[in-house]
Amino acid sequence: MNNDHVDNTLGIFPRSWSEKYAGRIPGNIPIWVGILSELTEFGIFFVAYFIAKYHYPDVFSKGPQGLSTSIGVANTIILLTSSYFMAKAMMHIRLDERDKCQRYLWLALSCGCCYLIAKTWEFYWNNLQGLSTSTNEFYTVYYYMTFNHFLHVGWASCAVLWVIFRLRAGQYSAKEHSGLEALAVYWHMIDLMWILIFPLLYVLR
Amino acid sequence: MKKLGRLEFFWAILIVITLFNTFLGEQFASTALVSVLVSITVMYKGLVVIDYFMELKHANKNLRWLMRLYFIIFPSMIIATVFF
Repeated sequence: MNNDHVDNTLGIFPRSWSEKYAGRIPGNIPIWVGILSELTEFGIFFVAYFIAKYHYPDVFSKGPQGLSTSIGVANTIILLTSSYFMAKAMMHIRLDERDKCQRYLWLALSCGCCYLIAKTWEFYWNNLQGLSTSTNEFYTVYYYMTFNHFLHVGWASCAVLWVIFRLRAGQYSAKEHSGLEALAVYWHMIDLMWILIFPLLYVLR
Repeated sequence: MKKLGRLEFFWAILIVITLFNTFLGEQFASTALVSVLVSITVMYKGLVVIDYFMELKHANKNLRWLMRLYFIIFPSMIIATVFF
């Protein structure tokens, strides 16, 4: 019986996609199924944005002027910084420096909370300006996109908290930290989506 | 120590690009040049996060290719908006 090739992957992908042939998969396969699903979801939002902009160019040209650019910039810097902290946390767990890893995870979580507070304030500020989902087509797209992203940051922040508890329980080490790495790539994906959302809604007229 | 410095370098670059894009959007009317500059810089930001923060540069080439493709297609659509 030939047992020399033991495949511990899900076995549902072509062999050419496997770690053996295409290289290491950061985190695990299930998180990448999730990430690619999320990218598809946001991709549909972006396509909807471009279609709506094509049909309502004037509305999309004036739309960003009603938004608080400074809060948009602050949120971009917060998320980029959170990604940096997450990358540092990964670096330290690989060195088996759990205390430093935990410190950077708390910093990343703090950034996530700052983002959620700033975004809530932005929605409140918009409300004071009389802006809502039904103001015009731009704000319909804006609220769909940004509230969806807000939810992603919310549950990813809860996941960071869960990973911190797992780290404190000694579940991660330099040898085994795939769960932590899965969260890290998911967190970076959320940052990537904001990198696209920010210019579309706040910068381009 | 070398790797430590690289993360900080890319973080600073990403912040500078964000501020530059905001400056473009605030100071200039929407022109083809502004759209192209924003598109290229957004593409670059995405590729930096994919390669250095997500660490896909030396990881699975299919995942890296998919992620990079995403950040080529959507910023390119920003350039396409110039023509309609």
